[in-house]
Amino acid sequence: MIFAPIVWIALATGLYMAWNIGANDVANAMGTSVGSGALTLRRAIIVAGVFEFGGAVLVGGNVTETIRKGIIDPVTFMPGGAFGADGPMILAIGMACALLAAAIWLQAATLFGLPVSTTHSIVGAVVGFGMIALGAEGVAWGKVGEIVASWVVSPLLGAVLAFFTFVIIRRLVLRQEDPVAATVRWAPYMVAVVGTLLALTFAYKGLKQVMPDPHPMTVMLASLGFGGVAAIAARMLVKAPEGNPSGSPYVYVERIFGGLQIVTAALVAFAHGANDVANAIGPLAAVLGIAGAGFTDVPTANPVPTWVLAIGGAGIVIGLATWGWRVIATIGKHITEITPTRGFAAEFGAAVTVLLATKMGLPVSTTHTLVGAVVGVGLAQGIGALNLKTLRDIAMSWIATIPAAAALSALLFVTFRAILL
Amino acid sequence: MRTFHQLFARSPFEPLAKHGERVHEVVQLLKPVTDAFLAEDWNRVAELDEQISRAEHKADEVKEEIRDNLPKSLFLPVDRGDLLRFLHEQDGIADSVEDVAVLMNMRRTVLPGEVGQAMSKLVDKIVLTGEVWFDLSQSLPDLQEASFTGPEVTRVLEIAQRLNDLEFQADQLQAILGRLAVKHEEEIGPIGFFFLMRIANAIGKTANKAENTADLLRMMLAPS
Repeated sequence: MIFAPIVWIALATGLYMAWNIGANDVANAMGTSVGSGALTLRRAIIVAGVFEFGGAVLVGGNVTETIRKGIIDPVTFMPGGAFGADGPMILAIGMACALLAAAIWLQAATLFGLPVSTTHSIVGAVVGFGMIALGAEGVAWGKVGEIVASWVVSPLLGAVLAFFTFVIIRRLVLRQEDPVAATVRWAPYMVAVVGTLLALTFAYKGLKQVMPDPHPMTVMLASLGFGGVAAIAARMLVKAPEGNPSGSPYVYVERIFGGLQIVTAALVAFAHGANDVANAIGPLAAVLGIAGAGFTDVPTANPVPTWVLAIGGAGIVIGLATWGWRVIATIGKHITEITPTRGFAAEFGAAVTVLLATKMGLPVSTTHTLVGAVVGVGLAQGIGALNLKTLRDIAMSWIATIPAAAALSALLFVTFRAILL
Repeated sequence: MRTFHQLFARSPFEPLAKHGERVHEVVQLLKPVTDAFLAEDWNRVAELDEQISRAEHKADEVKEEIRDNLPKSLFLPVDRGDLLRFLHEQDGIADSVEDVAVLMNMRRTVLPGEVGQAMSKLVDKIVLTGEVWFDLSQSLPDLQEASFTGPEVTRVLEIAQRLNDLEFQADQLQAILGRLAVKHEEEIGPIGFFFLMRIANAIGKTANKAENTADLLRMMLAPS
C-alpha cells in the first residue's frame, strides 16, 4: 500500500521537479559569480552542490510545511472530514497532480523559452487542486495572499538591501583614496556579517543535536563565533597584491572581492536550496506522509522528515550535475557586465531576503529576488546598463503561470480521481 | 528562468573608450598631415587624407554600434542623453580632423613662412589637447567601476579643467593665425585666404569638441 501508484507518480514528479530546480534555477544563483570570474565553473558547481544540499536539508522544512499544509487545510481530508474514508487518498492524488501539473507547465514553458518560476508554478498548482476539491472556500486565501504579497515584497526588499550594501561598499572602498587598502581592511568585517547570517539560519537546529533547548543567546553567540572565525580566516587570506599596482587600482579591488563573492555565492546557494526544495518536496512530503499512514489518515503533527528533504536536496544536486552546469556556463558567459563588488552586493541582498522569507515559511522566487537586487545595485549607479524590459517579462510570467498551473492541476486531479477512486 | 541574464545589457562605457581609441588614431594623423601640407609635399598630403578618412570611418563604425546598443529601455547609471552627446562630441573630434585633411588635399594652398609657423604652433597645441582628451576618454571604464565617486572623479575633473585651459590657449593661437593671415592676405590671395580660414576653423574645432566632451563628463558627474 505504501508503494501505491500514486506514491510512484509523486516520487517521480517530485524528483523531476528537484532535478529541474538543479538544472535550471541554480544557474541564476551562481551565474553572477561565474560571470564576474569570482568562481570557475568547477568551483561554482562544488559550492552550489554543497550549499544547495545543506540549505535544503537544514532549513528546507519551513517552506515545505507551508506547501504541504499551509495553502489547503489537510484537516478537511482526514477520515472524519468532508470526504470520509476517501479523504487521505484524495489529498494524496491532489498533491501528486499538483506536482505533475507544475512539472508539465515548467517543461512546456522551457520548450517555448518562457521565463517561468518554479515557485509560482507549484503554488498555483496546489491552489488549483484545492479549488476543485474543496471549492474556493477550501483554499487558505489568507496564506495565499501572504505568499503573493511576498512575491511583490521580496524583489523590493532584495533591491533595498542590495542598494544599501553597494552604497556601503562605495563609501568604504570605492570612494577611498586607496581602494585596495580599504578593501583589505574591510573584507574581514564583510565576511563576518555574511558568516554570522549563514550560521544563524541553522545554528538552532545544529545546537539542538547537542543540547535540549538552546537559548536564543547561545544561538546568537555560536553564530557570532562562526562569523568571527570566518573573519579571521578572511583576514589571513585577503592580502594586498604584491608590488606596485600600475594602472587601475579597481582591478585589484575586484580581484579581492572575487574572493569575497564566493561567500555570498554560497549564501545564495544555501538560501535557494532552503526555499526552493519545498517546490519539489512539499507535495511529495504530503503524499509520503499519507502513504506512511496506509492512506487511512493525514498526519499533520510531525515535521517533514529529514530524509524527505534529503531526497529533494539530492534531486537538486543531480540536476546540477547532469544539466545545470551547462546552464551555469551559458549564463556565466552572458553575465559579464557584473563585477565582484556588484555581485557581492546583489547576492547579499538577495540571499538575506530569501533566507528571511524561508524563516517565515514563505515560498518566494529566488530569481525574482536576485533580479530585484541587481536593479537595486543599478539604482545605486553600480551597473553599466540594465535591460528593464526583463521586469515586464517577469510580470507576464506571473500573470500566465498561476492560472495555467492551477487549471492544469485541476484538470489532472479530476482525471486521476476518476481513474484511481 | 531565462530572464535573469537578459537583465544585463552591454555596458556602454568600454565601447565609448574604444571609440575614443579610434578617434585618437585619427587625431594622431593631424600633425603629419599638417607637416606635409606646410612642406608642400602634396603626394603625402593625399596619402594622409586617405588614411585619415579610413581611420575616421573605423571610428564611425564603433559609434554606430554604440548607438544601436543604447535603446531607450536601458537603465543607465548616467543620463542617456549625456552619453549620446558625449559620443557625438567625441566623434566630432575625428570629423574635424578629417575636414582639415580634406581641405589640405583639396587645393594646393601655399602659405608664407610666418603663417605656416603659426599654423604649426596651433596644431601642436591641438595635439596636446588631443592627448589630454584621450586620457579623459580612457578613464570612462574606471569611472564606471568606481561608481562615479572617489579619487577617480577628482582626477577626471582635473583633466577636464586642463582641457578648458588648453582650449582657451588654442583659441588664442587661432586668433594669432588669423591676424597673420590678414597681414599676408595679398600674398595668399582670396581663394587661398578662404581655404586657410576654413582649415584654421576646422583645426580649432577639434579643441572645441574635446572641451565639449569634458563638459559633458562633468555633467554626468554632477551629484544628482
